[in-house]
Amino acid sequence: MAFRLAYVITGSAAEAEDATQDALVKAWRALGRFHAGEPFRPWLLRIVANEARNRRRSAGRRLRLALRVGAAQPVADDGVDRHALLAAVNELPEDAQVVIACRYLLGLTEQETAVALDVAQGTVKSRTSRALVRLRELYD
Amino acid sequence: MTELERALAQLEVDWPATPPFGYRRARRGLLAAALAIALAVGIAFAVPPARSAILRFFHIGSETIEQVKSLPPAEQRSLERALGEPVTSSAAARLLGRPFAVQGVPVFRAGSTVSAIVDGGLLLTELRTGDDPGIVKKFVGGQAHVVVVRLDADTQAIWIYGPHAVSGPVLPPRLAGNTLVWLRAPITYRLEGRGLTLERATTLAKRLR
Repeated sequence: MAFRLAYVITGSAAEAEDATQDALVKAWRALGRFHAGEPFRPWLLRIVANEARNRRRSAGRRLRLALRVGAAQPVADDGVDRHALLAAVNELPEDAQVVIACRYLLGLTEQETAVALDVAQGTVKSRTSRALVRLRELYD
Repeated sequence: MTELERALAQLEVDWPATPPFGYRRARRGLLAAALAIALAVGIAFAVPPARSAILRFFHIGSETIEQVKSLPPAEQRSLERALGEPVTSSAAARLLGRPFAVQGVPVFRAGSTVSAIVDGGLLLTELRTGDDPGIVKKFVGGQAHVVVVRLDADTQAIWIYGPHAVSGPVLPPRLAGNTLVWLRAPITYRLEGRGLTLERATTLAKRLR
């Protein structure tokens, strides 16, 4: 999940690998500042996402995500064309693509997505809403 | 949740393969730290259960822990039969690069692991962390639990309780009792016992150096 989050943010598997590795080391060094009893996942998410964003900024641009449907995807019986849907996700503007990936493809909560994207939870809500509208247009 | 959101949530994406973090030779100096935190990552970022037979995997020192849907075939053996062959204290010290943590007890080796029965029936195993971090494997079934605990300011440990199996470099897989695993570089420690409690395990672990 950490690597996938970094991949969504950087758009590059190689950058995501470096970002995740560095984030893990930073997290280890910062463990002393982690308060026992608090949720570990958001804390670590923030570190991974920060590192991924830094790498993305250093690179000057984010490579375009090219997500593909997995081979194990079962045949849908609900009339949804998974390939077309993911192709539509790939066509979304960057902000929309990232928020959709975080919320639905990675299964992050709104709060976790806010942490990962370093925005307010309300911003996640509004971005998600707009992204879904745009996605529906692209998919239809 | 709308139909579109449901369809998105059900998408199986062909993600790039997740690299084995912590294995990079270029960062040897940070190996122990990366391995230990990779363990925590495995806990914090579990793959959704339906997506893989191996639900989670992570590392601490020389131990790899995999959370699986069902345990592999494993024998039910007494801890005494999990020890290996007897060795002298000096031979154990040569394997570990320092004396075994508990003195005055018979010590045994299985491959490069050194073990002894300590503190009234607990199995203490030590293994010097080298370049191969996957020398001891634990398989944790769905009914077992894995939690991160802190022994002291510098030492994190993993507490595994419930049904799980362990396999080493020499001895065949066996069902394991509750286990505390921790790393004080360069030694990976494992303390195991049926009915072992976290409190007893951490109390003993804090004494061992």
